[in-house]
Amino acid sequence: MSAREQILASIRAARERRAQVDHPGRFGAWRPEPAPSPLHGFETMFTQAGGEVVHVSSSAQRDTWLREFLSGFDELSLGVGVPAEVAGLGPTPVPHGSEHTAPAGVAVARAAVAETGSLMMDARDGRRAQLLPPILVVLVDATTVHATLADALGAVRADLPAAIGLHSGPSKSADIGQVMVKGVHGPGRVIAVVAQAGLGAYRHASERPSERE
Amino acid sequence: MSGNSSTFRPASYREASARTLRDTPEVRDSVGSATRTFDALRTKAYAEVDSDRWRDWAQDVKAHALTHLDEYLEQAEQSLVANGAHVHWASSADDVHRLLEAIVVEHEVRTVVKAKSMLSEELEVNAHLDTLGVRSVETDLGEYIIQLLGEPPSHIVGPAIHRSLEDCRALFHEELGTPMDADPDELAAAARAALRGDFLAADLGISGGNFVAADTGTIALIENEGNIRLTTSVPRIHVALVGIEKIVPRFEDLAGFLQLTARAATGQPIGLFVSLIQGPRRADEVDGPEEVHVVFVDNGRTALYEDDTAWEALRCVRCGACLNICPVYRQTGGHAYGWTYSGPIGAIIAPGLLGLDRALPLPHASSLCGACVDVCPVRIPIPELLVHWRERTVEEGRNSVGERLAMRSYAELAERPSAFSTAGEALRWTPWRAVGKALPVLSGWMQEREAPTPSPKSFRDLWREGIE
Amino acid sequence: MNVSLFVTCLGDQFFADACADAVRLLRHVGAEVSFPLAQTCCGQPAYNSGHRDEALRMMKHTVDVFEDADYVVLPSGSCACMMRTLYPELAGSSPEDDPTAAETMRNATRELAARTYELSQFLATVVGVQHLGNGLDGQRVAYHHGCHALRELGVSSEPVALLRGAGARVMEWSADQECCGFGGTFSAKLPEVSAAMADHKLDTLPEVDVVTSADGGCLLQLSGRALRRSSDVPFRHLASLLWQGVTGTAESEGRT
Ligand code: SF4
Repeated sequence: MSAREQILASIRAARERRAQVDHPGRFGAWRPEPAPSPLHGFETMFTQAGGEVVHVSSSAQRDTWLREFLSGFDELSLGVGVPAEVAGLGPTPVPHGSEHTAPAGVAVARAAVAETGSLMMDARDGRRAQLLPPILVVLVDATTVHATLADALGAVRADLPAAIGLHSGPSKSADIGQVMVKGVHGPGRVIAVVAQAGLGAYRHASERPSERE
Repeated sequence: MSGNSSTFRPASYREASARTLRDTPEVRDSVGSATRTFDALRTKAYAEVDSDRWRDWAQDVKAHALTHLDEYLEQAEQSLVANGAHVHWASSADDVHRLLEAIVVEHEVRTVVKAKSMLSEELEVNAHLDTLGVRSVETDLGEYIIQLLGEPPSHIVGPAIHRSLEDCRALFHEELGTPMDADPDELAAAARAALRGDFLAADLGISGGNFVAADTGTIALIENEGNIRLTTSVPRIHVALVGIEKIVPRFEDLAGFLQLTARAATGQPIGLFVSLIQGPRRADEVDGPEEVHVVFVDNGRTALYEDDTAWEALRCVRCGACLNICPVYRQTGGHAYGWTYSGPIGAIIAPGLLGLDRALPLPHASSLCGACVDVCPVRIPIPELLVHWRERTVEEGRNSVGERLAMRSYAELAERPSAFSTAGEALRWTPWRAVGKALPVLSGWMQEREAPTPSPKSFRDLWREGIE
Repeated sequence: MNVSLFVTCLGDQFFADACADAVRLLRHVGAEVSFPLAQTCCGQPAYNSGHRDEALRMMKHTVDVFEDADYVVLPSGSCACMMRTLYPELAGSSPEDDPTAAETMRNATRELAARTYELSQFLATVVGVQHLGNGLDGQRVAYHHGCHALRELGVSSEPVALLRGAGARVMEWSADQECCGFGGTFSAKLPEVSAAMADHKLDTLPEVDVVTSADGGCLLQLSGRALRRSSDVPFRHLASLLWQGVTGTAESEGRT
């Protein structure tokens, strides 16, 4: 018997003796306090974990902030989904495959989650660009912020890439003598640039919570 | 049963724990402070949500998945294959070793980066890769530290919690040339720099898997450093080793488990990095591994599943909350337990994964204080399972003859009240200080404590005389 | 109110004075106390070490002994837990040859469980006393929560409230809910770890006049270890301390 058959056969034999348990249904995120607005919730949770949030309410404001921030670096890595007009605001982008040489990067979140303060990073934006630069700016469309993680997963499940990353703050570790350090492997600084409604429809507009209701 | 060759030695738990306490008292300090910190964070994180409801939900999802495990495993396999991943099944550590060998040979793999995986420790993967001439590099900072030290992990979530900052300074000074007074940030930066090269050079990344969603074929991984995301994104090939019990039915179920596990483990709302992996890189993606192999590993899990009581342990999500609150674990950390999984969870799965004879005395390494069951996110009745394995020990005649005889005579006495009180009387008049050291049970007691002083008169006598 | 006292094997031999104080306390709150002489051991040592058959025998004996009791009160959280939570489970999961006898035993254990109380639990919840006296006025007391009383019986505020009610200052103790390391045979099988557990309790102990607990086993463990470390802090059973709360004087000396 193959390992597969062996494993399945012994499960089937023992399963007979187990009382079946029903699936309890969708996870309800049960909490004593009602959740604040998704955007506010995201900001609270993300900053608590050490992330930074910048709000921009016009494309001019966004561009000014990016131009200013990115001027401090000589090279940049870019996520595939970064719009051309934004890509042009910073220094020369490195080619894909060389993201590790860039001191900073810009990537795009497919969605965000208030409950956990997470940015949902889609592999189609480029995984290296999301992970290798020590400082990462992530463009977030305010209308893609979901209240709960279950909502967010439900919204994306029909169109899953090879991998999704949920990034909920800068990389951290307390493995060295229980002292917290930042930026161990992933970015040590993560800045979510949240664009107000109507401005930054970077991707996947159909999954916006507002449009599904 | 598990086929691992194995350096695991739970049998020496008593000697090992005594040695740890005697020779390296600083381990107790480090482990004690780390676990108490973890536990305080968990307490706070549980209080922020309706944790009872979360835990009921998680217990039920896991129980449901386990009572339909064959179906969900097949569904997960189908989903993964449809996503372009290769699915393998392994009965034993040897099966996994053979599979890795085939991959390593086919792709001429020289360097492997590893994302912290307790299953990989259980399967002793690094040692095997070593025999193949393949260099494997642990990339989780804690795992990296203990790999450099040549030690196994001492905690399922914080593998290096038994080591102090001073230990790390000395180690990194030796290995990476950092100054002896480097602060933790400098040490982490040095490790990051060293490991960055390995990530870029590695041909193969090996990870575990916290959960597998059957409907989408998603392997979910939780971490804080980003090394798991890198391990599963940068090398050409990714192998995920997953225990067969890691299945959850639905993609959306991950919403509950990712959060509950993080709250239970470290008190965080979620791991700072979560990977949800469906398969290899697709045509519209610029990077990611070309090949993804998912290995469903048994290695003794079906033996646990077949046990009508102990199967409940398969709900475990390996959060480590039971270790953090365990007063026994807190004294020594994990090394004393002699194998991969320590603390309460280690003690209840060892008899299934290793066989009861090899697992003893771990089911006895507990005072049955019950603190663990109060924190377990999937409500595994740990003390009951410990007693279950103790009963099996007795049933199979694996305890000492002396103990069996003593218990039997004690029970016989207890059915005969007058004999019982006479025996009690005799007991009270025994000069414990003199003879205690010669008696098997009492020598253990007297080694560490003063013998108790019996009351001058038994209560029975006081009662007969009349209590004013 | 008729109360049957179950002093437990440890209580009979090592805490006879505390058990006598329990009698005094119960009489003080108006109970008629009886002491069934046929009582022996609840069976917990056997149960915990995996000797189920022996535990069952002791369970049956104990069920018979206390069949007619209105209330069974124990000066031990651990043995009370054995009777309240583990007896019904033991009876329920041990099929006998005779199904009627098995059913009878299951019902008997459930009924017994409902009538069984740890002493402070009984005083606080059944009798409803809050204030026994002021005899502990100003005494600094450390209260060790025995694991089974705390987690299985859910008894935690009751003993503390009774001590406070008698004027004691129950001091903050970071490890008051952590296991002392007794665990019955555990303490003898793995003495080194068990002692280290007691050490953590003793190392974190605040400055107090007396350490107390509802469990004699824990007190033996802690006092035995304290003596080995040449500490002179006294350990006394909760029953004795509460009786001192009533009378203002110690009937029995602190035993260590
Ligand atoms: S037994 Fe429960 S508490 Fe312990 S590691 Fe597993 S899930 Fe966590």
